[in-house]
Amino acid sequence: MRNLLKECLAEESGFVELRYHHKESRSFHAERGRVESTALRKRTGIGVRVLEAGTWGFASTSEITKSSIQNAIQVAKKAARLSSALRKDKIPNLPKANFAIGDFIGKGIEDFRTRTVEEKLKLVLDIQNAAAKQSAKLQSVGCGYSEIYEEKAIVTTDGADSFFSMVRPEFRVSAVAKEDGKMESGSHSIGVTGGWDCLFRSQSATEISEEACKTAVDLLSSVLPDGGLSTVILSPSIVGLLVHEAIGHTVEADFVLSGSVAQGKIGQRVGSDLVTLCDSGFSEYYEGAGGSIPVDDEGLLPTNTVIIKNGILTSYLHNRETAERFGVAPTGSARAWEYGDVPLIRMRNTFLVPGDSSLEEMIANTKDGYYLDGAKNGQADATGEFMFAVQKAYRIQNGKITDLLKGVTVSGLAFDVLQNVDMVSKEFKWDLGSGHCGKGQPAKVDAGGPYVRTKVLLGGK
Amino acid sequence: MDRLSIEKRLDGQKELLSGLVKKAKSNGIDQVEIYSSYGYSEDVSLEKNDLNNCTATEENMFGIRVIAEGNQGFIISNHIPSLYQSIEEAYSLAKSQSTPDFDLGLPEPESIPNHFNQYDLSLDTMGIEDLVATAKEALGWRNDLYSKVNIDSGDFSLSKGYKLIVSSKGVMAHELGAELSASVMGMGVDGDLVGSFDYDSASGFNKDQFHTLWKKAFTNFGDKCMGALYAKPISGFQGKVLLPPEAVYSFFLGLFIGSLNGTSLRKGKSKMAGKLEEKVASSLLSIWDDPTNERFMGSTGFDREGLPTSKKPILTEGVLHTYFYNTYEAKKAGLIKSNGCATGGAQSLPGCGPKQLQIAPGSSSKEEFFKLPGKTLFVNRISGTKDGASGDFSGVIKGGYVLENGEKIPVREVQIVGNAFDTLNQIEAISKEGELLGESSFVPYMLLDGFTITGVTEN
Repeated sequence: MRNLLKECLAEESGFVELRYHHKESRSFHAERGRVESTALRKRTGIGVRVLEAGTWGFASTSEITKSSIQNAIQVAKKAARLSSALRKDKIPNLPKANFAIGDFIGKGIEDFRTRTVEEKLKLVLDIQNAAAKQSAKLQSVGCGYSEIYEEKAIVTTDGADSFFSMVRPEFRVSAVAKEDGKMESGSHSIGVTGGWDCLFRSQSATEISEEACKTAVDLLSSVLPDGGLSTVILSPSIVGLLVHEAIGHTVEADFVLSGSVAQGKIGQRVGSDLVTLCDSGFSEYYEGAGGSIPVDDEGLLPTNTVIIKNGILTSYLHNRETAERFGVAPTGSARAWEYGDVPLIRMRNTFLVPGDSSLEEMIANTKDGYYLDGAKNGQADATGEFMFAVQKAYRIQNGKITDLLKGVTVSGLAFDVLQNVDMVSKEFKWDLGSGHCGKGQPAKVDAGGPYVRTKVLLGGK
Repeated sequence: MDRLSIEKRLDGQKELLSGLVKKAKSNGIDQVEIYSSYGYSEDVSLEKNDLNNCTATEENMFGIRVIAEGNQGFIISNHIPSLYQSIEEAYSLAKSQSTPDFDLGLPEPESIPNHFNQYDLSLDTMGIEDLVATAKEALGWRNDLYSKVNIDSGDFSLSKGYKLIVSSKGVMAHELGAELSASVMGMGVDGDLVGSFDYDSASGFNKDQFHTLWKKAFTNFGDKCMGALYAKPISGFQGKVLLPPEAVYSFFLGLFIGSLNGTSLRKGKSKMAGKLEEKVASSLLSIWDDPTNERFMGSTGFDREGLPTSKKPILTEGVLHTYFYNTYEAKKAGLIKSNGCATGGAQSLPGCGPKQLQIAPGSSSKEEFFKLPGKTLFVNRISGTKDGASGDFSGVIKGGYVLENGEKIPVREVQIVGNAFDTLNQIEAISKEGELLGESSFVPYMLLDGFTITGVTEN
């Protein structure tokens, strides 16, 4: 494929980027004692991006032939020329970059290829059947396995030349419990970049299922917490949501240029000394983080970017264009979801660096607060105001965990929450590898960290 | 890309897909359905108050469903030369399963009384040059009227295409469509002050209609961003909330409508199970589904399974009349056939749901809602979470106001918590006025009572 792409670029003079992308997604879902759905999605094509007359032009084609690709290059060039007269702030030349050259074959691909459809179907069916027997209160339990295999080749006229592949499996269980007309749901999921063994390394499929079912049943007897500003201990999944939503989005350089709250704050204190925050294309601490990428979608080798070091904002996340505008090196953060999507600045694996405390010490040191566990969804705003939803909130009174309460929405201002971090645990976990981040287009990301104590606004009664 | 060339492509594809289905049948694959979705689009995007990118994309996706011995396999592909292999793969996926359900089956064809080819010839000659001109006009509005509003991103799109469904049972239906649309997202920025994100959008099936709606949407966006710029935290209170149409539709109504889904009902996940012809909401609330109104965008004569759509009442003065079924769920519920409510497209299996919800206007004046005594929270948008089974929702209010003594005070860091099913009975008033969201669903304003509003400052 790289050779075909290079052939298409042979006579091009300006900047042209060709990105071949083949993606296969398989999903299997079982519920109420049977396989409810099996689906295979295959999508292949080439995204063409050109920089001409200071403006981007983009076109895509699902026909993988030299003539179709060359036609798409011409369409993209025409689009760029048409818009050039209107674009006020012309795009500067792209900076030199640490291009990926060669083949980068991801781990676990062989594993994904050799396991049969029957084996994957048996997994979801067996787990679903066992889960449904856990409690008479369980109304419905759904169990799903999915995997995304993708391969890409990226070639540019200024030197990128790589092929890479990866596989990302996910496993999820969702349960609904019912009692006296009341219904509650619980879910638990896991997602990694790697093979099957990597997926179930920290928790077996049965354990994942038991956790989801227990949450649904336990929540039947829960009530809402009191609303208001509260001291909270966040589990690694919630820390992941916090650093992704509250900080990560505000430091994406395209968002910074639009006026996010992080604009102009490089070198300033934005968090307590205990806060060191990174976003990395690799999987630090242990392998398998769901947002790992061998090459970004501009053909660059990704970095481990330190965003905040001991409370001081040190870097934004960049693509080639914003790196040139800020006069820094690109961080390898450009990503596209499908071949027909333009690469955007996206997070990869976002994490808080562990500290010195233990979770036990943190709970024992909390007189009045909540322990929040089980990440749901979240969103961030230009103001730095974020919200994330949690499944479960446990009351902490006089250093001990007491009642389970319904999880609700938690919100705050990003940098206020970081400034209020006063305890960080030694333990570390990647815990946001399933699901997707949205920003015009989806992206597989992961996030995590240690247990963290801070203050947030808790919605409640 | 013009109408003639799209029609030519459609005709060729009808023949191709019919041939593939016939070939599959002759090879022993009896139940095959192919849903084809073709789209050509040109887009111009904005970023940072400037033009960002011009794109042209074309894609044909195919959703292939095969049912064999009570099991189902589904393949989605954009590769035309290997479509027959995809049918075989879907068949193989179905055969690899061991939990058959003989209620699974493709529907028999029915005649489709309404045909909606929403392709207006005013869009035929349009192209990327027109989109660039529209983008330029919008940047001008921003510079002249809203210099403190930063456009983070925006998109102008002209899309044309068709949907086509062919099955081995004899279902064959298609519709052409063309649409102009635009959206903008951004926030107010004044020195160090940054306001909440907001957005607005417009779409239309002809050039003039689109331009009128887009100008209104952009002005609305600018006003909302400016309103949110000087927002302040408040203390919490118990009281009323006022939902504008977008908030009614996107948050509060979504959970209720989801609970009428045939799949949720069958799986015991719906609180609305067993409530047909019972009063489940305030008498002020009446809702119906109408995908057959030619004036609405997105009206369609057939559903995801190629069966005819129809107008149907959902709630009349709070009394529930219907659930939503595709063919499989209808059969599981003991019905002879579906009610034309299969949802989705080429990239998904048929789901269950409405097409174009309409909410009956009330008798109150919208303006009266803004002059109520005491405190009322105006909820522009909720950034939050909701749970389909319990109906619980909670979230942060974005671009909201506290309405007090005729004043509109922009607020931030405010949360509300509630339950969608309880909320159905908390409706105090519905406005006469409303908006046609997405040019397809009429939704009025709603005033609700009995909410806990959490603020960040001390009482």
